Amino acid sequence: MEEVLVHLHDVSVGYDIPLIEDINIEVSSGDVIAVLGPSGIGKTTLLRTIAGLVKPLEGEVELAVPSRGGLGYIPQRLGLVGNASVRTNIEMGTRVGLSRWYLPFFPVPSKQREFAEQAMTDLGISHLADQPVRILSGGQQRRVATAKTVAQRPKLVLADEFLGELDDDNVDIVMKTVRNAIEAQNSAMIMVEHHEELAKQVANRIWRIEDNHLIEELVR
Amino acid sequence: MNKRTAIIGSSILALTFIIFIDLVGNWGRLSGGWDNLGIFFSESLWPPDWSVLEAQSYPVCESTFEFTCSVAWLGMVETIKIAFVATVIGFIVSLPLSVMSASNLSPIELAIPSRILLAAMRSLPSIIWAVLFMIIFDMGTLAGICAMSFYTVGYLGKLQFESMEGIKNAPLESAKAMGMTRTETAWLVAIPESANNLLSHLLFMFEYNVRHGTVIGLVGAGGIGLYINTYLKLAQYDKVVALLIVVFLVVVVIDFLSMALRSAVNEEGDVDRPSWSSLFLPAAISSAIHPTPMKKDTDAESE
Repeated sequence: MEEVLVHLHDVSVGYDIPLIEDINIEVSSGDVIAVLGPSGIGKTTLLRTIAGLVKPLEGEVELAVPSRGGLGYIPQRLGLVGNASVRTNIEMGTRVGLSRWYLPFFPVPSKQREFAEQAMTDLGISHLADQPVRILSGGQQRRVATAKTVAQRPKLVLADEFLGELDDDNVDIVMKTVRNAIEAQNSAMIMVEHHEELAKQVANRIWRIEDNHLIEELVR
Repeated sequence: MNKRTAIIGSSILALTFIIFIDLVGNWGRLSGGWDNLGIFFSESLWPPDWSVLEAQSYPVCESTFEFTCSVAWLGMVETIKIAFVATVIGFIVSLPLSVMSASNLSPIELAIPSRILLAAMRSLPSIIWAVLFMIIFDMGTLAGICAMSFYTVGYLGKLQFESMEGIKNAPLESAKAMGMTRTETAWLVAIPESANNLLSHLLFMFEYNVRHGTVIGLVGAGGIGLYINTYLKLAQYDKVVALLIVVFLVVVVIDFLSMALRSAVNEEGDVDRPSWSSLFLPAAISSAIHPTPMKKDTDAESE
């Protein structure tokens, strides 16, 4: 069943000066949206505004996802804890599915551990489980960040250029895993992407940023 | 160097010189100072009296190694024990306080009072805390431990919250967007991300506390300082010198162990591998003898 997960009402995003204005758009479950546009035009700011990290200059961002665990965010720099192991990073994603009173120094319950193991298997990083993230290559780190978000099982995934540094095979693996997760959770994804061809391959909606406005393009 | 920098620099130097002259006042009283030092050194300080390394006559030594019944051993071991316990207690107390003080982890309404508390704890030197605790607990190691722990909380807390504020923003933003609580963010993100620095500061603090154990012992808070104080009162300066040499050697060994441990927990290239020369020589000379490879840009690599 399709449900609206994000609704942007007359939103302007930016820092002091608006970068994108008059955004009125909805995101429904099942959507995979690629945001395209040149550097510095406000793609990341838009993502950060939807994530609640930046306040919109105008308008309102309405999120129909749980405030705890409902949103998965993969920033451009991935947001992983370099000193922690791959497993710890991925299990961190599953913690937000637990009560906020579940103390962080307790190990995650077996169900959550299974989510993490499954995500590692799907993304082909099980053999790296006990390695500290900081020693991994850029591509491996991107798969860890994806596994963390997949294991979290959010309703909405926001990803900022998370396919960069991945070769074609790994793009396929990552996108297949993310798509399966989106279908299983009836969730949606908004991703910032620089490569138009890649964006058109993986997304079913395109948001193009031009002249301070967001223009929707239907892909398929 | 441009003209403006040169003027500012020379003005600061001139001001420093004027203030220094003003503070010293009567230069005449300095005459003969070097001679006095020479006499004091040759007649009272040198050679050191190494009897401090021999077993004390009372209580009777029952150990196989008589050295372990000596003033130097007993005092130094007690100082190390005080420093160890105080460092661990200080670390446990300062960790939550530093999380509360870090502006990227806590709201400003919590960060400011926590910072004030840390500042208050380190604004009094440990020797003053030692005097205060001696009033409560009488002379001895308990007063020393409490004094050192208080100062450690203030000092270590500041180092720790500055490390936590220096971590990258991306993991914190990711945690916030996911809906993690502040406790989860601190425990699972901020502390592991700054772990290398936290450990480094902890080892530095232990080293600092061992050195400082000598000072607080002077006011009766236990450890080797207590013996140094006794010998000072008895004007047995040669024994004082012997004990100070022991303290110096122990601090050098701890310094080396601390550097080795820090380099073991850090990424290769993050911390320069310790060399013996770096313990005894100024950094510039040491790095000339043992040049270290250029550090790798881990930030750039991770992006």
